[in-house]
Amino acid sequence: MNDHALEVQGSNPSLQMPSSGTAIQIENLTVNHGTTPVLKGLSLQVPIGSIFGFLGATGAGKTTTIKTLLGFRSPDGGSARVLGYDVSCQQREICMSVGYISETNSLYDFLTISQLCDLSRDMHRRWNQGSVDRYFQLFALPSNKRVKHLSKGMKSQLALCLALGNDPDLLILDEPTTGLDPISRQMFLTTLVREVAAAGKTIFFSSPLLSEVESIADHVAVLHDGSIVLSDELDHLRERQKMVKLVYMEQPPVEEMTLLRSLPGVRQLEQRERVVRLRIEGDTDALVGTIQARPYALRDVEVVAVRLEELLIEYLRGDGA
Amino acid sequence: MTIWLQVDIRSNVPIYVQLIEQIQHALEVGTLSPGDALPSVRELASELSIAPNTIVKTYNELQRMGLIESRAGKGTIVLGKAKEMVRVRQQEALLEHLSTVVHDGSLLGLSAEALRDHFEQAVQQFFSERQQQGDKS
Repeated sequence: MNDHALEVQGSNPSLQMPSSGTAIQIENLTVNHGTTPVLKGLSLQVPIGSIFGFLGATGAGKTTTIKTLLGFRSPDGGSARVLGYDVSCQQREICMSVGYISETNSLYDFLTISQLCDLSRDMHRRWNQGSVDRYFQLFALPSNKRVKHLSKGMKSQLALCLALGNDPDLLILDEPTTGLDPISRQMFLTTLVREVAAAGKTIFFSSPLLSEVESIADHVAVLHDGSIVLSDELDHLRERQKMVKLVYMEQPPVEEMTLLRSLPGVRQLEQRERVVRLRIEGDTDALVGTIQARPYALRDVEVVAVRLEELLIEYLRGDGA
Repeated sequence: MTIWLQVDIRSNVPIYVQLIEQIQHALEVGTLSPGDALPSVRELASELSIAPNTIVKTYNELQRMGLIESRAGKGTIVLGKAKEMVRVRQQEALLEHLSTVVHDGSLLGLSAEALRDHFEQAVQQFFSERQQQGDKS
């Protein structure tokens, strides 16, 4: 059967999205604000074709990371490549092939939509007016209206349209939905997936919201205190992180608990008399097998999934690592 | 699209696993048949509003399981033997469930003999009821 599967995959170029390789590659990046270190040896890989959610508490360094990726500030140490371009010396190339929406969303608000669009077109060599018009229609944006008269939701839609104007392979969005009401937020995210990701483009977005990352991302990274404490596929996290509840026949001795704590994959252990709760990561069956082979008799073993949200909060608080 | 897939992003079940289970179920109930084409990665990502790589992963896994195959110009096709394979898998899962029932029963103090009796009784009851229904119609 394996032979068959291989043969099928070999004859199957159409199924694969262009998902090999990395769109963003950061290695041991350090950035200081004056003498204060903000990014302290950050390493991260963003696969091509992924929707990558970048989580972190306010002040963790998300915006600094993004500005460094776009070449707006240079690294104090380490390196970063965006679509293969070096951020410290190829800013022009990066700006030409990346779409970007900043946190502050600072559009020239005295211009009308079509004036702003002309301005953006003049700044980009590679500009696809056809697709920009299509996005304008999709969001029903009135081209003769001044930006300052638009709602927040419309402004972010406009920013998205313009960010897509140079037909970028990678979109970098810094908290794109901040300030949007739930409906506009949902619409913005859905459009991102349907129009941008489905076309095979890579999306890297920072967000303070777990729910937002959960709803569209396939990869997530958590930034805490200037470095990455978690970076994984969401499905992989759902699969590998479990809670195991052990009920012993009799309360096991303290030494046994120390031993369990040291088993590979055990991240946390809590005990209440003869009930023990373990947070584990990795091969659940193997670990449960090891525990069952210990000399202390078990009355019951229950494996429960850990909610993604709980898990991410653990990491955001810095308890995960 | 005849099959109607949905995902629960809040679930602890990986999304690609949810999709595999639904596609298997669709095969079982016949909303999906051998020879049918599955939607393209792009279509399905767009319809479900989830990352395309998750669909790629789902299809790769179904392909590894021998249920689908991707053909140049025709898209991703459900293979002829898929239905039978799903059935075998589900029988295996069911029989595994049986051992859990026995295990739990023994914990609750049921003897081997009692478990056997109950199983036999359930089998007899089911098949005699089915026969009666057959007689009526």
